[in-house]
Amino acid sequence: MRRFSIAVTCALLSACAHQSGRPPLAKADTAVSAAPTVPAAAPAQPSPPVAVAVTPAPVAEPASAPQSQVPGVAPGGPRTAASPVPSPAPRPVAPVRTAPAKTPAAAPAAAPAAATLDLPLLEQRLKDTRAIGVFTKLSLKNQVDDLLTQFRAYHKGGSPQTLPQLRQRYEVLLIKVVSLIQNDDPTLAAAVGSSREAIWGVLSDPKKFATLNA
Amino acid sequence: MKSLTRIIAVPVLGLAAVGVAAADDGFAKDLKATIALQGLPCDQVVSSTRNKDSDYTAACHDGNRYHVFVDGNGRVVVQKL
Repeated sequence: MRRFSIAVTCALLSACAHQSGRPPLAKADTAVSAAPTVPAAAPAQPSPPVAVAVTPAPVAEPASAPQSQVPGVAPGGPRTAASPVPSPAPRPVAPVRTAPAKTPAAAPAAAPAAATLDLPLLEQRLKDTRAIGVFTKLSLKNQVDDLLTQFRAYHKGGSPQTLPQLRQRYEVLLIKVVSLIQNDDPTLAAAVGSSREAIWGVLSDPKKFATLNA
Repeated sequence: MKSLTRIIAVPVLGLAAVGVAAADDGFAKDLKATIALQGLPCDQVVSSTRNKDSDYTAACHDGNRYHVFVDGNGRVVVQKL
């Protein structure tokens, strides 16, 4: 008997829970069908808050209630628009505040990477990384050696390839390396990517390339 | 006592199996990347058999099979089978 009463209580509670859960879903459905306020709020956050906030407001006006049109258009429309408008207003301010903070931080980080190129360290990091396997590392080393051979021939004057062609091959190889390591070793991928011009400067300059070979 | 052994053994064996699977998954990714670096198609390596040191046969999900090995010059060679 007790079990039966417990079962009935549970059934009632679950029914109440379902009923309490349905209205928000129904509201959400009607809200979505009537006016995309919820989806509009999300895109309103990033950049175009005014245009997105204005469009749901007129749609919500006839759907919500005609009573609110006279006093409510101003408060009701602005309520939906006012709540996004003040909130996006400070929100862009916050990214702007953080953006200058990131920019000076990124600038000094990129500047030394471009200024000082430590090729042996970069090579060692590529050897040590676990982002790629042994076969992949050996394949990449083969392709790097092939490219270095082509550069050597170019600087000796016995290569049919032009410098733009070598540049293209270099870019493709660098993209391969970065794409292979960027998921599992993003810092190394960033280091390789930021060293691109510096490495090209060594490869394309005969004197620097000679020191590289030595 | 038997139940205690089972309680201990099952998670240990399970973790070992997960470790082996992760290692296999990593090696499959390695083979897939190696094949892709040679410009050959392979969507996913589903199985690989070791022929000898640094010499494998890889089977891809799309049906392609490759012989991946390191030759005497230290170059990775991928041959379509």
